[in-house]
Amino acid sequence: MRFAHVFIAFEEFISFSVYQVVELISSAIGDLVQGIYYENSYSAEDGLGEGVDVTSWEDQTFLSHGALLAKSCQAAMQLAKHDREAQRLAYLYGKHLSLGHKLNSDLQPFVKTRLAEITSFSLSAAPVVLHRQIVGKEKWHQHLQEARTLRNQLDYTKLLAAVKSEKGVSSAVDLCRYHSNMALEAIQAFPSSEARSALENIATAVTKF
Amino acid sequence: MCCRRFSSGFTTSGLFDTLRCFRGSSGYSSASSTGRTSWSSAPRKERRPLFPARIHSKALNLRPSVIRHRCRSLHPTLQSCSCRATHSDAKLRDPFTLAQKDLTSLYDDIKKELFVAKTELKYLCDYYFDGRGKAIRPIIVVLMARAMNIHSNRAGDLLPGQRTIAMISEMIHTASLVHDDVIDRSDERRGKRSINDVWGEKKAILAGDFILSAATMALARIGNSTVVKVLSHVIEDLVRGEFMQLGSKENEDERFKHYLEKTYKKTASLMAHSCKAVCILVNSDPEVHEIAYQYGKNVGIAFQLVDDVLDFTSGAEQLGKPAAVDLKLGLATGPVLFACQQFPELHALIMRRFSSKGDVDRAWQYVLQSDGVQQTTYLARRYCEEAIRQISRLQPSPERDALIRLTEIVLSRDK
Repeated sequence: MRFAHVFIAFEEFISFSVYQVVELISSAIGDLVQGIYYENSYSAEDGLGEGVDVTSWEDQTFLSHGALLAKSCQAAMQLAKHDREAQRLAYLYGKHLSLGHKLNSDLQPFVKTRLAEITSFSLSAAPVVLHRQIVGKEKWHQHLQEARTLRNQLDYTKLLAAVKSEKGVSSAVDLCRYHSNMALEAIQAFPSSEARSALENIATAVTKF
Repeated sequence: MCCRRFSSGFTTSGLFDTLRCFRGSSGYSSASSTGRTSWSSAPRKERRPLFPARIHSKALNLRPSVIRHRCRSLHPTLQSCSCRATHSDAKLRDPFTLAQKDLTSLYDDIKKELFVAKTELKYLCDYYFDGRGKAIRPIIVVLMARAMNIHSNRAGDLLPGQRTIAMISEMIHTASLVHDDVIDRSDERRGKRSINDVWGEKKAILAGDFILSAATMALARIGNSTVVKVLSHVIEDLVRGEFMQLGSKENEDERFKHYLEKTYKKTASLMAHSCKAVCILVNSDPEVHEIAYQYGKNVGIAFQLVDDVLDFTSGAEQLGKPAAVDLKLGLATGPVLFACQQFPELHALIMRRFSSKGDVDRAWQYVLQSDGVQQTTYLARRYCEEAIRQISRLQPSPERDALIRLTEIVLSRDK
């Protein structure tokens, strides 16, 4: 019951009388649960299902990877009694940073130079999703077919090569940079400080491969 | 029309004295044929269970009605009270009737809180909010709220926050059931397949988490930090209670204490804190909060004790789940713990959690041959008496009387 651990943590800051924060973090847990639920639902073959595109990937990824950080950042602002605008900016930083980080993580198998390191990757990883969107359903199924071994298993090295041959990887890199920039934009609205610099460094770091 | 003739002399310390008698004192184990001799704390009047030898020979065919008969004869005052009450009075005090108005849309409202876009997860979360549950917790919460409102010189009507607490109590309870079924690998619940049986363990865990998160959001929206604090305890208690259940104690004395503490955490804590929460919303007197808390706690423990008894005495058709479940899960509940004092052979079975072949059946037989069931029922009655004593301190109201009546319903349930 991981939820219970978070809840026990609540008991510590509840003395601040901020039930709004409780609501916000609880909603983040609800988001996380939904995100994990659907991440687990997808079969290895389908990835995100037939109607997948960048927007739905971002929505899904926000639930499973972004909501907690975004809402925690917002909650931190609430606790310190900052205004709505500060809360919004903090939320945006958390959201875009998480998405950027997930993109970086998804890209790892595709940007590593040594092929020997790769055993498999998720078919819902951003480069694959983007690849599918770019090449279309039919070509994607063709790639899948070509990557099947005689024992009906996926040869990930072949599939990797197929994805890398098209624009999926570079699109994912662009998207990663986009979210990094959005995070920077949000945090730079705050006055400069050591803490802000650190947050800027983190936002920049997600674009490094 | 309150029955003030109830035992006012029974205090909490009296109960602990009673329990001390259970801890292997010499007068106990030899008392199988002559009835108890060691109830030094309880006055010798109607409160002692008188179990002549013939009860034991009939124990194998023990039916709930026999227990009920015995219990009723212990409390002539209680019986005469309900006999004297007129039909309309009885109806007025009926908890289900009184609470009905507030609860008609309870399950629909809960489903509205389970706001999730994806169809399948939504279906899972709604699965047990189908009106088939007993809804005993919301009923208690609603009645307590009204009783407290009247006691605090307000109109009886529920405040929105109090109604939300009723919903939350049922949501937390349901979420814990969903998780418990995963832990226990149960395939049936309330007459249908469990969520983990249909959709698998992963999804069941997530559904339980989601219901909990929705409950805490609703809790936060009440806008009262004290209430949030009070109900936060519940979730921690639920988890700790479950962990306690997974462990066991070697020492017989510790075992009973462990059992009652686990029972408090797993069942009574939710009722106690929910009652306290609705009280906090209308009354600032900590003594009054304590009345609410103690009522919930005592009824909660009694409720679970009866549940544990029913696992031995009830057939599968009535319960909606197969009986002897606790034994099969390796759990030694009240009836077994009491039986162990008469049949020390049970020690070994308890310690290995009834895991050897034939253990479950053997334990069952020992329990039915012992007075474990009666003792547990009697203990439940003592807790109910304490609950009544507490709630009687409130100003009279139909809801307060319904709460008193509820304790009798808890004791006499057959499912």
